[in-house]
Amino acid sequence: MTTRAAEVLVIGSGAGGATTAAVLAEGGRSVTVLEEGPALEPGSVEPFSLDELARAYRHRGSSAALGAPPIAYAEGRCVGGSTEVNSGLWNRLPEPLGERWRVERGLAEFTPAILDRYADLVEGWLGVGRVPGALPPSSAVLERGAQAMGWRHEEFPRAFRYDDRGRGTKQTMSRSVLPRATSAGADLIAGMRVHRLVLSGGRAVAVEAVRTHPDGSREDVTITADHVVVCGGAVQTPALLQRSGLRRGIGPGLKVHPTVKVVARVPEVLDHDDVPMERITEFAPSIAIGGSASRRGHLGLALSDAGVDPMGLLDDWEHRFVYYACIRSDAGGRVRAIPGVPTPLVTYRLTDADMSRLARGLVHLGEALLAAGATELHASATGAPVARSVADLGVWWDALDRKRANLMTVHLTSSVRMTERPDEGGVDSFGAVRGVDNLRVSDASILPEAPGVNPQAAIMTLAARNADHLLGSL
Amino acid sequence: MSVAEQVVVTGAGGWLGRNLVEALAPERAVVRVLVQTADEAAVLALAGRSVQTVVGDVRHPAVVDELFDGVAAGATVVHAAAVIHPERRVRELFDVNVGGTCLVLDRARRHGMGRLVHVSSNSPFGVNPHPGHRFDERSPYDPYLGYGASKQEAEELVLIAAERGDVDAVIVRPPWFYGPHQPARQTQWLRAVRRGRFPLVGDGSNRRSMVHTGNLVHGILCAEASAPTGAAYWIADVEPHTMVEVLATVRRALVAEGLPVSGGQPRLPRLAGVAAEGLDRALQRTGRYVQALHVLGELKETIACDVSLAQAEIGYAPATDLFEGMRASIRWCVERGHEL
Repeated sequence: MTTRAAEVLVIGSGAGGATTAAVLAEGGRSVTVLEEGPALEPGSVEPFSLDELARAYRHRGSSAALGAPPIAYAEGRCVGGSTEVNSGLWNRLPEPLGERWRVERGLAEFTPAILDRYADLVEGWLGVGRVPGALPPSSAVLERGAQAMGWRHEEFPRAFRYDDRGRGTKQTMSRSVLPRATSAGADLIAGMRVHRLVLSGGRAVAVEAVRTHPDGSREDVTITADHVVVCGGAVQTPALLQRSGLRRGIGPGLKVHPTVKVVARVPEVLDHDDVPMERITEFAPSIAIGGSASRRGHLGLALSDAGVDPMGLLDDWEHRFVYYACIRSDAGGRVRAIPGVPTPLVTYRLTDADMSRLARGLVHLGEALLAAGATELHASATGAPVARSVADLGVWWDALDRKRANLMTVHLTSSVRMTERPDEGGVDSFGAVRGVDNLRVSDASILPEAPGVNPQAAIMTLAARNADHLLGSL
Repeated sequence: MSVAEQVVVTGAGGWLGRNLVEALAPERAVVRVLVQTADEAAVLALAGRSVQTVVGDVRHPAVVDELFDGVAAGATVVHAAAVIHPERRVRELFDVNVGGTCLVLDRARRHGMGRLVHVSSNSPFGVNPHPGHRFDERSPYDPYLGYGASKQEAEELVLIAAERGDVDAVIVRPPWFYGPHQPARQTQWLRAVRRGRFPLVGDGSNRRSMVHTGNLVHGILCAEASAPTGAAYWIADVEPHTMVEVLATVRRALVAEGLPVSGGQPRLPRLAGVAAEGLDRALQRTGRYVQALHVLGELKETIACDVSLAQAEIGYAPATDLFEGMRASIRWCVERGHEL
């Protein structure tokens, strides 16, 4: 048993934790960041590879929210969290949604001007921009499809920096914000899983953790802290709080962006090293259409989701790509910590309106891909007929049902929720946990709802704002 | 404003659609209609030489492509296709009412259509808080179960399309219809009222707005000609009636058409309606739909609206009242040999 002490303890090193640590360390506080996963040397893991699935993800990227249908999800588990493995697409929180949250949840200091100030700050740290030159072919497919249909579409900016030859590097937390925190004196410890907060007298006085050393040996560690900020993401954060005895407003309200996929075959050879930055926004905010990681392995998985044997279809894999439609769902889910089990139970119950919206997204995605010149489409519903023309798309409405839909998500939010109305969530306008003086949450779990766009920008913006507020109170 | 020479009608084989096509066919050069079956197409083709039929499912892109193919730019679209009572599953409501609307709006935009009149419902607004209350155009959404939620989502798609300038769309919101081409469920209702078998739920003081299909067709034509883009109007008979008055008026109309009525007025406690609504809600949460429970659950409620904005802004002037309209409906049934 080892005992350590910290002034501010940040649990988690993803978009929320890294940002929190950087603001507080640069503000002159003594910060310790604990990360459950390993530290991976930037550039040592091939993006979107099987090696990455094994090393940077929890459960090799295959967790599931139970329900009918279940929803597969992936969480990063490494220094930098999911920012190490995501597409780096950057969408500020849509202003109308932020305004709705401000009004409906009574959020203090949540005006567009304030949010923009913190978004500007974190964008300055990362570098956010569009691809120099022409869109890569996988994005051009979406652009061409949208243009043929007359649909609104947009190239989304990404958290990428480009060198003078136009080569981009994704600005993951381990490349950008964590070095900023450690330069300002923050201490970053990888391989440290916190299993419980020790609460006493209305304060979080310490955390109990297990450290796994590089040689595989384990050690129990207790760390005392003046302030604790939990940044474990929408699944791990509520589970940790529940294991520590905090349950009020913690765990229900989970939101995801349920996603259906289509594997398209197109005449041209496509790029497979990157994720498309082009999106079809015609059906926003309820449906978004874009492209996914599409290395050979991803294509195989996506074709399996269509209920076909991928082997014969992968001979021409350079011509195939995975595209998706994701929705904002009416449904909510729940995270429940199970005593004695390290993995929480996650459930999600899609409504009929959600299932219908997913089918609508699938049909629209099919239309765009056929309009772009795709010749063969496999949808992620077991046994859904292959579509080769628009006339084939109509049957997808009935093919995507609760029994046959194969859904996934990479965005999980809202299992704790900021609100000034205590019945509606677990934390206040600045992420402070009610009833515990020195405990805050700052990650995807505090977003009141799924944002309908990639949440990384919203998470970092709120984390910077909330950390600044904490700094002001110290 | 002059009206378009060409009109596209979805849901043309339905109760409203049939009335609409009969009114439009003699007046317009082309009436392109979407129906679900070849039988419906054959019947509608009799309405006039202007009628051109397309058979298919409004959820299918290829079908809706065919519907708009060759229609002149600037044509009017009346989108009346919807599911009100799904055969089995709640999801049909969303697939057809939301998915169909999304597709029709998209193709109307691509084909440069003119005015689109979207036929909505009272159900996105739920039930009135008390019997004296009437919905107007400022009432907030408060959808009644799956149908109400699906029609609300459809309205929102229409309003987005109007706001972004994609389609020159307007909305009409009719309540409970009556009139020619009524479906079997309405004939059963008249028969039950005639035989004294249709219950009042509660004391019958709850009010219902109803709309004669002739008034509704007139309201849609007013909306086509005169409504500003993005507007929505309640279209109903001028006055709502208490359920006691509705049933008494129907019985008077039956007698006036030479059909004697029998039986008394059975009553169910309001609690029966509450129980039915509770069961309906529980079933709908599991995706299932039972029409009888749904209807019984709604019978206890006031669902009344105020049509004065449509009267003032788009010249809506309904000519038929409940007694005359019911007499016409009854005659329509008798002429076709439907047993009442």
